[in-house]
Amino acid sequence: MNVPVDENASLAGTRRWSVGLGFLAAIALVWGFWMIFFYAPTEREMGIVQRIFYVHVPSALVAYLAFGIVALCSLGYLWLRDERLDAISVCAAELGVIFATIVLVTGPLWGKIAWGAWWVWDARTSFTLLLWFIYVGYFVLRQATEDPERGKRFAAVLGIVGAVDIPLIHMSVQWFRTQHPKPVVLKPEGPTAAPEMVQTLLVNMLALTLLFFSLLLARYVVERLSRRIDAARVAAQLRPAA
Amino acid sequence: MAAYLAQAWAVARKDLLLEARSRERFVAMATFAVLVAVVFSFALDPGVRASTIAGAMLWVTVLFAGTLGLGRAFALEREADALTGVLVSPIPRGAFYLGKLAANLAIVTCVELVIFPVYALFFGLRYAGALGGLAIVVVLATIGFMALGTLFAAMAAHSRLGETLIPILLLPLLIPVVIFAASATQRLLVGRPFSEIESSVRMLLAFDLIFLFVCTAAFGAVMEE
Repeated sequence: MNVPVDENASLAGTRRWSVGLGFLAAIALVWGFWMIFFYAPTEREMGIVQRIFYVHVPSALVAYLAFGIVALCSLGYLWLRDERLDAISVCAAELGVIFATIVLVTGPLWGKIAWGAWWVWDARTSFTLLLWFIYVGYFVLRQATEDPERGKRFAAVLGIVGAVDIPLIHMSVQWFRTQHPKPVVLKPEGPTAAPEMVQTLLVNMLALTLLFFSLLLARYVVERLSRRIDAARVAAQLRPAA
Repeated sequence: MAAYLAQAWAVARKDLLLEARSRERFVAMATFAVLVAVVFSFALDPGVRASTIAGAMLWVTVLFAGTLGLGRAFALEREADALTGVLVSPIPRGAFYLGKLAANLAIVTCVELVIFPVYALFFGLRYAGALGGLAIVVVLATIGFMALGTLFAAMAAHSRLGETLIPILLLPLLIPVVIFAASATQRLLVGRPFSEIESSVRMLLAFDLIFLFVCTAAFGAVMEE
């Protein structure tokens, strides 16, 4: 049932892509941060603190992208049982949790000034927090399962069930309450933010997306190599003593 | 289809028969639920009118007691290694899941039949005007809760953490159930008409249908080997 994976295949190509994307990400990040501090105008009502928005929103979108990858790869893993899809799921889930953590840290920093409170249970804040918990649970589940093959299956099931639940959680917290600022860029009648702000946001979005894919590939190489080492260790233990 | 349901029923019947003889899960869950009510009544400031937060208290209690019971849902299969027997039997995995789910549902419903009167007694709640609406909300919310709960209980039974794992995985995924069930219950308790909670009931129904389907399909991947 398992798709045979050539465990001797070189991962050098993947690593080169990771380094290349990382290089581009570094350029885009420097450019994006320059725009945040020197190019984008200061927002009239919220003042300087609004600039955190250029990190906050792209991180959120990257985290959603990461969790989307987890869902697709989980589904693919249960179907094809390809080891590589499971490895991508783990790496994407890890990065998703990291980017969601950035969202959850930058949000309150802004909220303290704009809303007057570190934490407000509005729809999007609650939604991101719940996502964070689901994917932290994903790692708890993986680590608590002794048989690695079973752990991969369980994690894939959680990845799928979580992905199905995400729209429902989104609807329910939306229904529960909404205090979060409405989208100012992506909306039907066109962006209301100043064009410099939109440009700054787009550059930072590009930078963080590049960074995400660079880290994903780098982490993937590490994951595959560490699995090879584990497999070699198990094989060495199983070999009868001479 | 009839054979499928008959197989699910056989699994449910086995669990319910064992439970009817020992009553260990029901007694543990009901006692725990009543203790949570006792803890709430001591933890709440006497100035707080309990009827204004009863929806929240009731559903926190149901979730905690239900999660406690889920920890034992696959205990027998695991302890005596009876799972191997179940796995080699010609029962489809989906039917096995539905049977386990039905048994869990029956047990949790019995516990709820204790929880709701006890809360009425302790906190002076009145259900009389809204019994029909409450029954619908409770049944729908419990189905959603147990649909996910049975799936994760099966995973937890095969993990090193055991039942400790269940609430960690389950609670974030159950937030939609909590939101719709608690708010609908609260509104019914303060005498709002059923039409006001219709949208919540519809969402609970959608949640149930989606996860009954997804979990039945996914259960095969959990119970493999």
